[in-house]
Amino acid sequence: MADLSVNLAGIKMKNPVMSASGTFGSGSEYASLFDISKMGALVTKGLTLRPRAGNKPPRICETPAGLLNAVGLQNPGVEAFISDVLPEMLGFGVPVIANIAGSTTDEFVEMARQLSGTGIVGLEINISCPNVKTGGMALGTVPEVAAQVVEAVVKETDLPVIVKLTPNVTNIVELARAVAGAGADALSLINTLVGMVIDVEQRKPVLGNVVGGLSGPAIRPVGVWAVWQVAQAVDIPIVGMGGICTGQDALEFILAGASAVAVGSAFFNNPMAAVRIITELDEYCTKHGVDKLQDLVGAAWKE
Amino acid sequence: MNGPGEFICRVSAQVSLASDSYLLKLEAPTLAWTTSPGQFAMLQCGEGLDPFLRRPLSIHQVERKRGVVYFLYQVRGQGTRWLAKRSKGDMIPLLGPLGRGFTVNPAGGKGLLVGAGMGVAPLLLLASELANQQWEVVTLMGAQTASGILRPDAFMDYGEVRTATDDGSSGMKGTILDLLNKELDDSSYDMIFACGPLPVLKGVQSISIDQGIPAELSLEERMACGVGACLGCTCGGADGEYLRVCQEGPVFKAGEVDIDG
Repeated sequence: MADLSVNLAGIKMKNPVMSASGTFGSGSEYASLFDISKMGALVTKGLTLRPRAGNKPPRICETPAGLLNAVGLQNPGVEAFISDVLPEMLGFGVPVIANIAGSTTDEFVEMARQLSGTGIVGLEINISCPNVKTGGMALGTVPEVAAQVVEAVVKETDLPVIVKLTPNVTNIVELARAVAGAGADALSLINTLVGMVIDVEQRKPVLGNVVGGLSGPAIRPVGVWAVWQVAQAVDIPIVGMGGICTGQDALEFILAGASAVAVGSAFFNNPMAAVRIITELDEYCTKHGVDKLQDLVGAAWKE
Repeated sequence: MNGPGEFICRVSAQVSLASDSYLLKLEAPTLAWTTSPGQFAMLQCGEGLDPFLRRPLSIHQVERKRGVVYFLYQVRGQGTRWLAKRSKGDMIPLLGPLGRGFTVNPAGGKGLLVGAGMGVAPLLLLASELANQQWEVVTLMGAQTASGILRPDAFMDYGEVRTATDDGSSGMKGTILDLLNKELDDSSYDMIFACGPLPVLKGVQSISIDQGIPAELSLEERMACGVGACLGCTCGGADGEYLRVCQEGPVFKAGEVDIDG
């Protein structure tokens, strides 16, 4: 067994495989299918300061090798999450990272405050959700604005701050540099790509929200490229994501410069995807004589 | 542990029925024993990543002693087209049983099953379970034409079957809601169980409320995870909050959902 462990900005994980926000519920939904404690870390559904009903259905639409979603951050609000959902998640004995999606800087700061001391080991700052009208991606496309949010959260909390970036920008490297400069401890790359599908019989958009976020294997090369560029430009660790379904997919991200990876849409194709990925990463290391998986981070561009 | 399982199931038979519909028989002993009427499974309908999502299909019938499960489905797109090409010996991964099914009160009663088109899919297992619990069962089936009335003979094992078609080629000429209204004029029932397109379910819902007969409605929605994690398959709840069709449903009490039919 190779050493798959990773220390992601102070978050100690036995392997680099995390759940991607919004795809894994509280984990208990999958608990009858596999041993959740095998995962490296769990990331919560995007949380907001107050409860959010989410978008009008239909919220999902399959696309070639992927899907569009416009769930719209449906969640019970951070307070109810802490009392009703978090205990269950902590029960798996795996580090839990909270994904927070404020619509203003103040909301991010308030959620960071409420989540400290709850057992959460890190915050993932969601300034990249394409499915909400305020906050979300609007805060994550202008480097100065993104940096301002991150700076405020970092000042408030002692927890590691991971910033999840959107690929729907002209220059993701510039954005990454800005948030790294503002004190981010790590980055998550990438959130979904904006897109839409039209029902030609109805002559109307399929999604109730018209536009949604594209995820799944269809976007994987976009994610790998984002990680490749950003990893060479900043000194903080990266969580790579975007359609990872297999160990090989995860290795692409790791070789591009990701220290950890997140699995999201893959759970819908194969609910056992995370287990498969962990097993295949170990097999790859064994086959290639790699003692420590972290030695491969960025190996595709490092001398 | 309670909860769904992931099974790779062997196809033991597949029969093509009318109207692009198929009856798929799978070897799935655990599923056969653990499922209850109205629940569903997510079937992987392809070998690679396209189509990417599994297809939610209602469990149509089970033979517990033989360890087999039947799915009745219609070809609607890429996934079901692939599924329709499977034959004896092929393997299909599936996740199940999933969701909340119909309520079968062990006290017995008189139940009216309403299946519009492919909506009959979850009702056969329900009919058999109701019959097991000493319920008197009458099934109403509706379709555009006689060829869309699926498996009436199977339903006759558990009680009377009446049909309605738009063109009158089977049973009453009219809609299933016309047939339902007529049936309720003629007889009284303790409970209505319905599955079909949203306009039909909306009609059943208002009849249920108007006449004070409890009803349970099985909804269909696009799904991704099937287990309640992704919040992709929601429908409107009566209190304004969204409900997950895969988790709080697919079977809802008539008063629980706001059907935008």
